[in-house]
Amino acid sequence: MNLYKYAAPVNFYPLAGKLIPWFAIPAAILFAVGLYVGFFVAPTDFQQGDAYRIMFIHVPAAWMGMFLYVLLACYAAIGWAFNARLASMMASSIATTGAMFTFISLVTGAFWGKPTWGTWWVWDARMTSTLILLFLYAGFISLQASIEDPRRADRAGAVLAIVGVINVPIIYFSVQWWNTLHQGATIRMLGKPSIAPSMLAAMLIMLAACWLYSVAVVLIRLRCIILEREQNAARLAEVAV
Amino acid sequence: MSLSEFLSMGGYGFYVWGSYLVSLIAIGAELISLSRRKKALAHQPKPKPVIRGSITNETTS
Repeated sequence: MNLYKYAAPVNFYPLAGKLIPWFAIPAAILFAVGLYVGFFVAPTDFQQGDAYRIMFIHVPAAWMGMFLYVLLACYAAIGWAFNARLASMMASSIATTGAMFTFISLVTGAFWGKPTWGTWWVWDARMTSTLILLFLYAGFISLQASIEDPRRADRAGAVLAIVGVINVPIIYFSVQWWNTLHQGATIRMLGKPSIAPSMLAAMLIMLAACWLYSVAVVLIRLRCIILEREQNAARLAEVAV
Repeated sequence: MSLSEFLSMGGYGFYVWGSYLVSLIAIGAELISLSRRKKALAHQPKPKPVIRGSITNETTS
């Protein structure tokens, strides 16, 4: 089987269609399981009471906002460097979902901050850099929307996306580099996490659900983008004749 | 545990349910706008697969 043929958007279109249910259905199941474990199995926290249950959506959403931005920048860079249209379309498709998760992380963070810190918002390094992430997504989306020629829009978006990647490690390490109101990492790459196993399980299940959801939604949007660009190209071809 | 006890979330009900409601609305808005975008393209013919190196689908003028 020649895998390279799927680099052509029109060839990837039917494959993407076949893949979508394999992500969408497990996403729905894992959201249900994650919420069940988060609300009925995980115990009440002795310090924060039940307010900590915001974590099960807040932390996965914040991680997705960062992961998806890095993924977007990688696809945008590949699309630019190798003139691969499908990769650029993938970057455009990821942007909306990444922005949505970043928005969720900011709003749920405010809902969590009010009862635990006594404030909805402070200009703390973690929160400010996350707000900048949302602006980077918004900038990428509106920049692409403002340029009519799709390949030029892809290149301009790629420059913005690649420059903006610097913000992701800033978000991640902000709690170590600066004295922030936001707490440090609960889950680390190495070492034991500092929360109860059922709390950790609920959070990881929700993270998996968010990943599966993102793949499904990005593939659906990618199919729309492929059709829209085909339509556009056909219209331009007619004008040329 | 009673339902009202569950809904009150130990006094943090507004914050906990507020968070999940906003998340649900955000995800719902994404899915609705995506389904509208898809519907707007419903009349568009499905793209024909091309075989590498063939010019059968190329339009020449």
